[in-house]
Amino acid sequence: MGQSMYIFLLVGFVGFAILAIFLRDLLKAAISLAFSSIFLAMIFFHMKAYYVGVFEISVVAGLITVLFIATIGLTKGQGDVKERKIPLVIFPLFFIAFLFLDVVIMNALKTQMAVLSGKPEVPHFPQVLWGFRTLDLVGQIGVIFAGVFAVLALFRKGGTHE
Amino acid sequence: MNSFWFLNMGVVALVVFLSIYGLLTMKNLIKLFIAVEVLSKGLTLAWIVTGYAKNHLMTAQSVAITFIVVEVCVVATALALIVNIYRHTKSLDIGKLTKLRG
Repeated sequence: MGQSMYIFLLVGFVGFAILAIFLRDLLKAAISLAFSSIFLAMIFFHMKAYYVGVFEISVVAGLITVLFIATIGLTKGQGDVKERKIPLVIFPLFFIAFLFLDVVIMNALKTQMAVLSGKPEVPHFPQVLWGFRTLDLVGQIGVIFAGVFAVLALFRKGGTHE
Repeated sequence: MNSFWFLNMGVVALVVFLSIYGLLTMKNLIKLFIAVEVLSKGLTLAWIVTGYAKNHLMTAQSVAITFIVVEVCVVATALALIVNIYRHTKSLDIGKLTKLRG
């Protein structure tokens, strides 16, 4: 994959992120978020980070989008919320100003900061996940159970105050 | 490799700026949470790019996967909260949550 293709992926990622934040229709915003995730996953594939790329597509672009769409359906979409127009109108000015600052600062840092380096890691991904970061997996199981019980508690019928 | 890292970090800074702008200007609860999601995508990119640049891609991936699992649980809980808030207030406007004041 060439450099121009990589730049295209980065532009697609940022472009869909902008759409996700500023589109008025919530359903279109959620779908833009999913497309942004797909572009991010392709960036990960480009860097040979295949495992996290697959996770990004299946979990973030898939599951989280389904959760967002279900919530939009349950809350009947936009409701009575009217977003202000001024932030949307002045956003391009802020965006261009930040982009300019970003390029200037990053170029300045590039000449001043030391080149990143590190020893190549020997083990493969399963060795890292199951061998070196086993406690992470225990934490993940705990977080999943916490999430499940939180959702169950929030959707429990018959509160005590009723 | 160094310019590749800086290019990607520039994009991460842009995405973080975008999400903070959204968080500061939006009123709809779901839109606010979409902005949080965009922020988390930027941070995941920062992790993976740094791991790639420092030749520690496997460790970066394992941390990013842990982060994604946490993210899913947070999203599920927050969206359940949003649905409950909507049932009580019949609105997704964050301005109408002032009733929660003590």
